[in-house]
Amino acid sequence: MLADSFTKWLWDRRRSIATWTVAVAAVGGFYAAFWPTIDSPDMRDAIENYPSGLLEALNYTDIATPSGYLSATVYGLVVAALVIVYSVSAGARLVAGDEEAGTLDLVLAHPLSRSRLALQRYAALVVSLVTISSGLLVVIVALVKPFDLTGISFGDLLAMHVHLVLFGMVFGAMAYAAGAATGRRAPAVGGGALLAVFGFAANGILPQVDGLEWIDRLSPFAWLNGGAPLQNGLQIVDLSIMVVLVVVLVATGTVAFERRDVSV
Amino acid sequence: MPEAAIRTEALVKDYGTARGLDGLDLEVLTGEVFGFLGPNGAGKTTAIRLFVDLIRPTSGEATVLGLDPRSDGVELRRRLGYLPGDFVVDGRQSGRELLTYLANLRGRVAATRIDDLAERLGLDTTREVKTLSRGNRQKIGVIQAFMHEPELLVLDEPTSGLDPFLQAEFVAMAREVAAEGRTVFMSSHVMSEVQRCADRVGVIRAGRLVTVESIHELGQRSARHVEVLFAAPVPAEDFAGVSGLRDVAVAGSRLTCRLDGPADELLKAIAAHPVITITAEEPDLTDVFFESFDIGRDDAG
Repeated sequence: MLADSFTKWLWDRRRSIATWTVAVAAVGGFYAAFWPTIDSPDMRDAIENYPSGLLEALNYTDIATPSGYLSATVYGLVVAALVIVYSVSAGARLVAGDEEAGTLDLVLAHPLSRSRLALQRYAALVVSLVTISSGLLVVIVALVKPFDLTGISFGDLLAMHVHLVLFGMVFGAMAYAAGAATGRRAPAVGGGALLAVFGFAANGILPQVDGLEWIDRLSPFAWLNGGAPLQNGLQIVDLSIMVVLVVVLVATGTVAFERRDVSV
Repeated sequence: MPEAAIRTEALVKDYGTARGLDGLDLEVLTGEVFGFLGPNGAGKTTAIRLFVDLIRPTSGEATVLGLDPRSDGVELRRRLGYLPGDFVVDGRQSGRELLTYLANLRGRVAATRIDDLAERLGLDTTREVKTLSRGNRQKIGVIQAFMHEPELLVLDEPTSGLDPFLQAEFVAMAREVAAEGRTVFMSSHVMSEVQRCADRVGVIRAGRLVTVESIHELGQRSARHVEVLFAAPVPAEDFAGVSGLRDVAVAGSRLTCRLDGPADELLKAIAAHPVITITAEEPDLTDVFFESFDIGRDDAG
């Protein structure tokens, strides 16, 4: 468990990762278990009376099917928000948090390059995201029968989770890059938060402005859920955008980290 | 002649607002314990962090173990041990956990080495770091710097937080390293600490090396405090003419003075009276240092 900075990072955060896994699975499962309540004539009428702009802003347009409901509430909103919070805070800690705590000097005085340390830790963050996402997957699969979540294929569910993990990786990479380049947590968390706010606005609200429909394509929420992977499987273009963005962010942050002074 | 363990030429580190190093020329020989003495903020930590490639010089050159810290950082850090001036680690791990991890990053540390050092310094490695006192945390820092028996130890204020017994143990460990032909570079802002440990001492002030002195030679030409208790009261004028003697004070049968130079003349003057006890302290080089080099005591921390 203490072999290198990859396993050490996971080992040090084992309790935190376990807590997040349980929390995401519990909240996601809780929302999913509400499906039978939504799936009633009264609720359908109520939602039909919502203003269409609000429905679009919340991605609730296809909420009358189990996959549409899960997609909009669980994956598109609640779980997405939790994954953002986790990824940004963990990403900000990879380098910046350690540096601000004054604990980075010691490790960097050992025979490993800064890039190696940073990339191993980012890889560990990815593994923690897969763990958290898997916990939710297990819960959702378990809830399909008892809560009538019909018409969702396991393949599509898996595709949704691939999108979810990459979605988290984007936010983690953003916070990592800003933190690695500056050595400070505030810009790292700020960068992640800014991306989240922009992403949310660009996904639901801004496209309703005439002439800004295209801005949705720039939102991580669109890459997560715009192509409805829960109904349509993997969305290659969206995934590719996220992969490229992760690579660019991680590479930029790592190069900047390699070049600058480590603060005391 | 063996290659210098550390050599810097006109090393400058600019922090934008302040200058950390202002043209440092330094040579540390292989196999010596080198004390790097200076007031807080003089540039000691800046120099040390440059050697380990945690920060990069603005200009000038540093060669450590014959390597350039910037381009050969990984290879260099494999061969040296580093103790940060402010040794902070995540508190939610045991000493053993941390030391095992650091040993694994190094690759080759004998399994019993951590236990031996922990026993020597009296550290319980099973305890969580956050439950340890400052001194016990510092022991972990000392162990991780020494455990892989590096060619060069770069230690920033290594004895801070250690009690006198452990300071003595640390001195012994540093001397053992030098006896094996390895090198110790340690910073301090307290002369007495460096005095017990180092072969040579370099004084840094405002980012520049003020002087480098051999501790042995320094000790020979520095004043010692001498105190003699006689069987009966003695006249003060008996000691007035003794060469090298200063601050002579006689109170009844007790003489106190400071001796600078050979002791022969003083001994003969003392021998004229029946003596009960005589005490001659090791010279405190702090005094001689600050007198010789006109280094303000006030900023010496």
